[in-house]
Amino acid sequence: MNALLTDALFDPIRIPLDQWFANFINWLTLNYRPTFQAMKVPIEVILANVDAFLQWLPPLAFIVIIGLIAYRVAGWRIAVFTMAAFTVIGMIGLWGLTMTTLSMVLASVLVCVILGVPLGILAARSDRFRGALRPVLDVMQTTPAFVYLVPVVMLFSIGTVAGVIATIIFALPPLIRLTDLGLRQVPADVIEAAEAFGSSEREILVKVRLPLALPTVMAGINQTIMLALSMVVIAALIGAGGLGRPVVEGLNALRIGLAGIGGVAIVLLAIVLDRLTQALGEERSSNGA
Amino acid sequence: MIRAENVTKIFGPAPQEALRLLRDGTSKDAIREATGHVVGVDDVSFSLKPGEFFCIMGLSGSGKSTLLRCLNRLIPMTGGRVVIDTEQGEVDVGEAGSKALRDLRTQHLSMVFQRFGLLPHRSVRDNVAYGLEIQGVPRKQRLERAERALEMVGLGGWGPSRTSELSGGMQQRVGLARALATEAQVMLMDEPFSALDPLIKMQMQEEMIKLQHDLGKTIVFITHDLDEALRLGDRIAIMEDGKVVQLGTPEKIIIEPKTAYVADFVEHADPTNVISAGTVSVELAHERVDVLRREGGNRVLAHRTQSEVEIVVDDDDHVREVRADGKRVELVPIDTLLAEEPPVARYRDRAAVVRAERTLRTLLEARNLVNLPVLVIDDQERLIGLVTEREIIFSIIEKRGRDALQEAAA
Repeated sequence: MNALLTDALFDPIRIPLDQWFANFINWLTLNYRPTFQAMKVPIEVILANVDAFLQWLPPLAFIVIIGLIAYRVAGWRIAVFTMAAFTVIGMIGLWGLTMTTLSMVLASVLVCVILGVPLGILAARSDRFRGALRPVLDVMQTTPAFVYLVPVVMLFSIGTVAGVIATIIFALPPLIRLTDLGLRQVPADVIEAAEAFGSSEREILVKVRLPLALPTVMAGINQTIMLALSMVVIAALIGAGGLGRPVVEGLNALRIGLAGIGGVAIVLLAIVLDRLTQALGEERSSNGA
Repeated sequence: MIRAENVTKIFGPAPQEALRLLRDGTSKDAIREATGHVVGVDDVSFSLKPGEFFCIMGLSGSGKSTLLRCLNRLIPMTGGRVVIDTEQGEVDVGEAGSKALRDLRTQHLSMVFQRFGLLPHRSVRDNVAYGLEIQGVPRKQRLERAERALEMVGLGGWGPSRTSELSGGMQQRVGLARALATEAQVMLMDEPFSALDPLIKMQMQEEMIKLQHDLGKTIVFITHDLDEALRLGDRIAIMEDGKVVQLGTPEKIIIEPKTAYVADFVEHADPTNVISAGTVSVELAHERVDVLRREGGNRVLAHRTQSEVEIVVDDDDHVREVRADGKRVELVPIDTLLAEEPPVARYRDRAAVVRAERTLRTLLEARNLVNLPVLVIDDQERLIGLVTEREIIFSIIEKRGRDALQEAAA
């Protein structure tokens, strides 16, 4: 018995939950590993394409393009900051790893949106579905990230794709919650007006609810991106590529400099992504208010 | 145009059972206590002619908004029927299938809301075009029609703006334009002006009257403000506790409130726009009108309190001549007097003539311009009565007409 788990008082009535848990995951692995492996395929395709594109793009072209996007959505200050941040990342020698991290974040956020927005819509439509979903989301959100990693490795093996899957599980809940919230917050009088002019439920969703919920959904996407970024780094523990690698390696070999620049690049990337998605949400809501 | 027959709405999990109780004569309070069901609208019937402006007035909780929503089934009714005339024949709103209901809402019934209900992410123009978009009208065409509707409400050129840039009054004009754009014959208006400043509200009411005059829509207008109902409505239904307690013309409601509840409202209402000159005037046959003598075939009449003013009428009651202190004075239509700018204060040289259907307000406005009895005539130009200051003041204070006046005098 593991020394961590003993306590004289409770030993006689101890529940072997750790055993059950291990058994369950083993059983899943034995019987369903091929299914889980097949689930990797679409994520692998998305990730491979995004990564290939970002690695192919010359750094200068990337910096110009992201600068223009930043200027468009967030104004010149943030555009300048964005371009400077990526230049610094290149100058400290982490361009390639940063692009891998970015592609992992983008791939996982893309999958999160594909899964999360429809689930949010269903949750907003049905109180029962929402009630059933809630504990699942609570578990997903509060389980420490490291706990995901073991079952993910067993079911999906190690590597970048497995890292993205762990990231998706971790980053999905706020998007579902905020989509649900945004849709429910649409004022009843606006919906009633749309109904009075003969709109079908579908039209109300597409023409009224979703556009009005968009700022909240964008806030959800912002949260998802931030969570994804933090998880992507942890995912280096299970062999995922990207900026987590110098951090983990620096930790293992006590190479403070390596871990330090990895941290700097992550922070810069986080600030850029946060400002850009926040500006996107604010732009919509100020147009919309 | 719209016929409501015994419309009843009961809120709760098993409304049909509660409806049976209600029809068996159980009181609303007893139903609420026994079953937890709330009766929102209780057995309301009315029938509207095309082009009629129908006001439903009541306090909050009286069921007026619920009743309005039963007309287009935003709230499904529990019992009774609503029938709407369309070019394709009568449609029973309660029985309509989803397609028929959609057609009804897109083409025949439009609606204006107290809190506007505009889409904040759309431009003014796209808001106005919303109903047409749902109908499937092509983009170019619906934007043209939206622009036309915007011009009708005085917002021509505002199409590209955001609704958030507009004041409350302007937002409600957008709401109005949205309803007009679908060219539905019936407009349901749920306290459309209640959220507006008093001045803007007055202005909107005036424009509403004009729009109604130009377009001849059939309007069901909800309000909690009796003055508003009196100004706008051809007929008014007053609701209390889910029931219509009185339905009639504004003047009838002011002069003959049927219940204490209505009387209570009427007490605070401004009667001057409602009570007509004909109603306040003293009839020629009344004892306060003296026949002084005959001159040839004509009678010479005078109001008892102003006997120095003599009115000469022929056998058909047409006015021949008016004299004040023995001097002949000119007869002037009241509108001519009111239109004079600046007012010519030649009190005793002129006597005002007014048609019976004009309001007390007109008489009041003319008060400073003439101090002789105002001559009230019918549509054949025959003299039917006289109005002096006494009658005007009595009507304002008592909010009652000639009959009451005669009783009071007797």
